[in-house]
Amino acid sequence: MTRLLAIIERDIKKFVRNPIVVIMSLVMPIVYLVILGNSFQGKLKGLPLAIVDQDSGIYSRRLIDNLRAVEAGARTVSIHMLNDQNAALTGVRNGVYKSALIIPPGFTKSANLRKEPDVGLFLDNTDTVSSIAIKALVNSALNSVREEHVPVRDKPYEFYARNIELYSMVDYYQTLVPGVVIMAIFLGTMTAGVFNLVMDRFLGIDESYLLTPLSKTDIVSGLVISGLFITTLIAFVVLIVSMLITGIPFSKGIEQMFSIFMIIVLTTLALLSLMFVILGRATHPRIVGLSSGFLNVIFFFPSGAIYPIESFPAWLRAFAKVNPEAYAVHALKSVLFKGAGLDVILGDIIFLLIFTNVMMVIAILSFKRTM
Amino acid sequence: MAGINNIIEVSGLVKKFGSLAAVDGVTFDVPEGEFFGFLGPNGAGKTTLIRMLTTLLKPTGGRAVVAGIDVSASPQEVRKKIGVVPQALTSDLDLTGYENMDLYGRFYSIPSRERREKIKNLFEIIGLSNRQNDLVATYSGGMRRRLEIARVLVHAPTVLFLDEPTIGLDPQSRRAVWEFLEKFRKEYSLTIFLSTHYMEEAESLCDRLAIIDNGKIIVLDSPDRLKSELPGNDIIHLTLSDLSMISPVEDKIKGLAFVHNVVAEGEDLRVFVENGAVNFTPLLESVKEAGGIVNSVGIHQLSMEDVFIHHTGKSIREEGGKKVNFFVGAGLPQKLSR
Repeated sequence: MTRLLAIIERDIKKFVRNPIVVIMSLVMPIVYLVILGNSFQGKLKGLPLAIVDQDSGIYSRRLIDNLRAVEAGARTVSIHMLNDQNAALTGVRNGVYKSALIIPPGFTKSANLRKEPDVGLFLDNTDTVSSIAIKALVNSALNSVREEHVPVRDKPYEFYARNIELYSMVDYYQTLVPGVVIMAIFLGTMTAGVFNLVMDRFLGIDESYLLTPLSKTDIVSGLVISGLFITTLIAFVVLIVSMLITGIPFSKGIEQMFSIFMIIVLTTLALLSLMFVILGRATHPRIVGLSSGFLNVIFFFPSGAIYPIESFPAWLRAFAKVNPEAYAVHALKSVLFKGAGLDVILGDIIFLLIFTNVMMVIAILSFKRTM
Repeated sequence: MAGINNIIEVSGLVKKFGSLAAVDGVTFDVPEGEFFGFLGPNGAGKTTLIRMLTTLLKPTGGRAVVAGIDVSASPQEVRKKIGVVPQALTSDLDLTGYENMDLYGRFYSIPSRERREKIKNLFEIIGLSNRQNDLVATYSGGMRRRLEIARVLVHAPTVLFLDEPTIGLDPQSRRAVWEFLEKFRKEYSLTIFLSTHYMEEAESLCDRLAIIDNGKIIVLDSPDRLKSELPGNDIIHLTLSDLSMISPVEDKIKGLAFVHNVVAEGEDLRVFVENGAVNFTPLLESVKEAGGIVNSVGIHQLSMEDVFIHHTGKSIREEGGKKVNFFVGAGLPQKLSR
């Protein structure tokens, strides 16, 4: 026990004495949250839309009014009225506008004659996200053009869905928090876990320890425990700061706090053991540095932290099924946003437990060969 | 069976990596309190031998007993009795000198009060008491080596293994390490096993020396006896202008009565002679008669370098063409014993 404690104490001292590592481990996930939350906000805003009205009839004005209503409300587009069709198209080609809507002469007349009135929508389809949004927006505005102003009592019978939100409102910024916490855990397992192992091997330190009564189990256990302690601490700091930034309320009960703690600890153990399996045999710390960004992409993006897993192609959905970060994100989202209890996240917990055990066994077998 | 006062007993020790025998049937004993040295070029098998004696490598054959314990049968028990200073500097740069030493004390489960006293005493011996609370990252190479030697003495081992302890150090730091080794030896009644490829180090520190090459012990004795067993008492070192002249010159001077041995290396001839100062001129005349043109000439008394050349037919050299793992020394595929 004295030996194990000595190793844990050593690792914690080394971590604390490297302020750049401490700062990077804490600041990077938070910066990620702020940058991603503000640059990729879920709802699109201010997409420049050029409109050339060559009709100037009642229906073209109504179409423009419908689009103006979106500009004033959801602010998805910012409308630029032009007279010259060529200027509008050149603007789209040059990237000044995301799209140009040309309302041809006779649009209103066609509508009045119950013919098929059409408009030209020129899209910058190299920006898929914007063009899809504008297309949907313009189609919706067009469909509303024929709606007459009629007294409410004469309004025809309509079907409509009443939206009932099951949970308190969560904005896009807040939905990123679970992913950012998992990212902090990932970074912690790299810097406080596998990097220390590889660096010690590179410098011959672990071999000099093996010349003492210290066993391999002491060394590996010490690394795991110190990595777990440091990473858990980092994850909690990142979680609290992220909640403050995004305005997630702290009104969590004891059961939820315990659940969050358990998710963080289990995710840390799962990722620590996974990283030991993947990088535990590396002989140069540079390999860990190079692999870090690559592995982060592999495990973070298919975790459901940013985009719903259900929308992935089949092969990526299959990967997500064995990705521990996916289970961690799901569990953390459930507890943070839905106030879920242990019963709801039990499946995630069981997966993380099994995953950790399997990876730990592989890691230990691997260490026996390499240390 | 060796005597009871032998701290190291090695018999027929073999370590093979595939078909290559890095250590090939080595046998020797080291009595208690002796400063024993292994002298040989890089790649001779020194580090592999130390790794076997210190339980990091399992021998392929033979037997090694350290402090009365079989290294293959009870490696954990051996580790409690030995202190090992590997070739690479392995102290932790992010910890202070004191913390590095304390960490080792804790690995050996030494009670904290006893640990503190021992560490204080060790820092006094290595002359770093005023730097013990500084991070090791601020130490010089020589200071780190002194710290690392002291570090493995915290648990008062029976035998100290040093693998090329002064490699990469400047001459001043090297001498400082030698002085501390002598101090430690007296203070802790240590048996010391040293591997080195520095002749001067081997000669000045070791009570007995084994010269090892290609995994085999070539000769083993005290430095003085090794030198006294050489023919002649001086070496005349000749460099000829042309490689083609070496053979006729060598044949000619071998016939001189005062010449005991001639070793050719490239354009150099190392001539073992009796009374070099007197026989210097007749030797040069014979070289001239054989058609040799001498570019440079030197004369010196017999040294360990000459002993090595006499027994191996070559000088200590860097082994070319083999990729050497700097951090573990041997650079060969290694399977640890645990």
